[in-house]
Amino acid sequence: MRNFGKALYNYRVHNQDPTTMVGVGLVVLFAYLIAAPIVLLLSDAFFVQFADQARSGQSMGEATLYYFNRVFLSVIATDVFWLPLLHTATIAFGAIVVALVIGIPMAWLISRTDLPGKQWFATVLIIPYMLPSWTFALAWLTLFKNRTTGGQPSWMEALGFAPPDWLAYGAVPITIILALHYTPFVILLFGNALRQFDSTLEDSARIIGAGNGVIARKIILPLMLPSLVSACTLIFAKCLGDFGVAYILGVPVGFDVLATSLFRAISTSQTGMGAIIALTIVVLGTISIMLDMYLLKEARRFAVIGSKGSMNRTTSLRGYRMPAAGLAMLVFLVSAVIPLLALALTTVMKSPGVFTLDNFTLAYWIGSDVGTTALKQGILLTPEFWQATWNTLWIVGSAALGAGFLGLLVGYAVTRTSSTMISTFLRQVTFLPYLVPGIAFAAAYLSMFAVQRGPVPALYGTPIILVLAILADQMPFASRSGISAMMQLGRDPEEAARIAGAGWLRRLGSVVVPIQKGALVTGILLPFISGIKGLSLVVVLAVPGTDVLTTYALRLVDYGYSQAANAVVLMICIIAFGGTLIVQKLTKSKLSDGLGGK
Amino acid sequence: MSSISIRDVRKSYGNTAQAAVERLSIEIPQSDFLCLLGPSGCGKTTTLRMIAGLEHPTAGQIHLGDRTIVSVEDGVYVPAEKRGLGLVFQNYALWPHMTVEQNVEFGLKLRKVPKAEREAIIGEVLEKLAIARYRKRLPSQLSGGQQQRVALARMLALKPDVILLDEPLSNLDAKLRLDMRAELKRIHQELGSTIVFVTHDQWEAMTLATTIAVMSEGELQQLGTPDDIYERPANRFVAEFVGNLPINIIEVGKERSGALVDWMRDTLARLSLPQPATSVGIRPESVRLSRTSAEGSRKARIVEVVPTGGSWIVELSVEGERFFAIAGELPDAAQGESVFFHVEPRHLHIFDVEGRRIAA
Repeated sequence: MRNFGKALYNYRVHNQDPTTMVGVGLVVLFAYLIAAPIVLLLSDAFFVQFADQARSGQSMGEATLYYFNRVFLSVIATDVFWLPLLHTATIAFGAIVVALVIGIPMAWLISRTDLPGKQWFATVLIIPYMLPSWTFALAWLTLFKNRTTGGQPSWMEALGFAPPDWLAYGAVPITIILALHYTPFVILLFGNALRQFDSTLEDSARIIGAGNGVIARKIILPLMLPSLVSACTLIFAKCLGDFGVAYILGVPVGFDVLATSLFRAISTSQTGMGAIIALTIVVLGTISIMLDMYLLKEARRFAVIGSKGSMNRTTSLRGYRMPAAGLAMLVFLVSAVIPLLALALTTVMKSPGVFTLDNFTLAYWIGSDVGTTALKQGILLTPEFWQATWNTLWIVGSAALGAGFLGLLVGYAVTRTSSTMISTFLRQVTFLPYLVPGIAFAAAYLSMFAVQRGPVPALYGTPIILVLAILADQMPFASRSGISAMMQLGRDPEEAARIAGAGWLRRLGSVVVPIQKGALVTGILLPFISGIKGLSLVVVLAVPGTDVLTTYALRLVDYGYSQAANAVVLMICIIAFGGTLIVQKLTKSKLSDGLGGK
Repeated sequence: MSSISIRDVRKSYGNTAQAAVERLSIEIPQSDFLCLLGPSGCGKTTTLRMIAGLEHPTAGQIHLGDRTIVSVEDGVYVPAEKRGLGLVFQNYALWPHMTVEQNVEFGLKLRKVPKAEREAIIGEVLEKLAIARYRKRLPSQLSGGQQQRVALARMLALKPDVILLDEPLSNLDAKLRLDMRAELKRIHQELGSTIVFVTHDQWEAMTLATTIAVMSEGELQQLGTPDDIYERPANRFVAEFVGNLPINIIEVGKERSGALVDWMRDTLARLSLPQPATSVGIRPESVRLSRTSAEGSRKARIVEVVPTGGSWIVELSVEGERFFAIAGELPDAAQGESVFFHVEPRHLHIFDVEGRRIAA
């Protein structure tokens, strides 16, 4: 009787509010939406698939090393794996070097010198990162492509210069574009480190007799190194998973990187092989993220004690002020203005690169008799465009809404549950998509939802799979912001509401959510922007009926209808850029604060 | 109106052997103003939170009046939101997104009080606490003292039988402390509610409470009136914890020796104690100084005289052993000179081997 009483008591105590139940619910949900697809995808690597029974000489479902052989050792290994790996590595390292070469001087100029228009440059030099990377690939095509691929001639061609293949496609343009796109990482991370660097450290070295060279090598460099290495690992991880740029500039000439090779394997239903390539990307990505985390931890050791604020001394550029500003302006022009301008101009020009008045037209936007095979009317009059826009808004919108609320709920469960098992699992599982590149994550969703599983029908071809995939993919950011918001809130306001007599739902609705309104808005808007820009995830999962703006643009590119494609891309840029500015206004935060996130 | 009864309550976290609260039993009669006093980590806040329902006991029972709110053995547990108590948090825990008015109104709405009546109650409590003109403001636009008044108003609007206060005066400056002390006394007298508050500050405890429960390491050390606690500490812990200046403790166990010990042994010999003493506590304020010797007095040298505004702390040396006194008037002996000090036998706090008080 006594034991029964105690058991009843414990039951009542632990179920006085549904926090634990919510925690368990979230564990199940994310095990299903995140962990299961990834595990399933990776398991494809070890078991014989239906289509490969004959070739592998084993029957379906048997454990096998066939796929490892095929990807790493067979005759096609060079083409499907080793060459793409080499390409990926070359591009990533090339991009890192170029980004450092451009980013380090820019970071120094805008954080430690009297560069004219410093504040303005600090904002505009970050613009490339706010826009989708593959935007610049389309701009590149517009400017540099040659007759190797079809479609309209590029500006270069129109000006009478035929760009060679190495300039038009493949490693060189991909490297340059990724470098320009990720240079903001260097500017932000290195710039922040420079800004926080305390000049008194420099002074104290100088007082004991150290020269400029010694100070640079022994004081500044060691303290700056973590931020630089961190920028490098981040760029590496991003390049590893970047699909759009290579798809636009590499695939047409048979230049594959890991992400496009994975896409090819998936689109030809070679799931076993796809799983191995995905696994490789995940492992490489994990290593670089772990490296970054380790370095961040190391960097914390350098936290300068007692440094009150940083004595930030600006270096006077003297006679070099204008040349330096010119250089920064050049970077801005090349990395943002020219590509966007080129895209914008193509949408109002009949023949690219011909600057005569009669060549300009608004037909591609609002015309009704456009003589191309793909589209008969301007993009704004095309129902498919509006369908894609609507799809984007509601699919990405509901995914972002879901991610935002679930993120806050995860934050609630993690900070309130008494079970460390639940909170640890939730933290880790929601972070998992961060390590999996979009293409691989999409592949995971295909393995999971392409067929009926239990009561869940096959979802491929429906918008639901897109909503779920985008939602899951955005969880790392959403849950991190939810957890930190709940940590800051503490328990008091909620306990006060309990004392006043409010039940759990009431506390959530009247106290927690209203207080977290700001965090919630950010937690919804940021996934929304990132979801709108995202290409790799939707390119695998969308079908013509569920086209979103990004996949619609890509389809138009595939048709060679570049004016319309560029118009769509511009719309995406406007939404992404505007959204980012709104978030920064709302939260009074800088983009750099969220850099560790997605 | 409710009494509170805490019976054999134990609270431990996880599997740690050390309990936060151990075998705690306190009967708090209706309309009592009880203070849980103790150093940090003594379990006082845990106890308050267990009454409120924000922590749950590992064993034992808690009753409010004739209502059982916790009984581990019988499987009874009433969650905090159903207990109908008032609690003012140490940091006030006002809802930052609600105005003063909305903070006060929230609980009334939950109790489905009609709009007109709500307005009347809000007006009344805000008026009473002199914060009516801030009713449209957000908590962030108020000073600390005003925030506390809002927290009090929010609690009072619900007219709880039992009021719990967590360190009610600790975040206030000296002037506000006096104001708030008077306010709390007034509220207690007007409403007749049972009030339990927690503090580590003995001034707060002494000035507010009708009953004080001194706690240490999760256990109740003494339950009594402020005068009891001060004049008749039940054990050495209470004697040493309560008092503005640390109490002088003289160890008089068998193996001890020294000038002070000899003097104290002589003094004790004149009292007929029921059992042998191990230590004796003497509050600095009960030490009398004089230039002339009297029966039972001891000679000492003045080491230092420290003014504290209105009184003086006098550090004495008895053949090298330190001893403190508080003098209401500047002693007419200078530093380095000799004085005689004397203590009334009724001001001796005598403790046995286990540190328990021996009644003389």
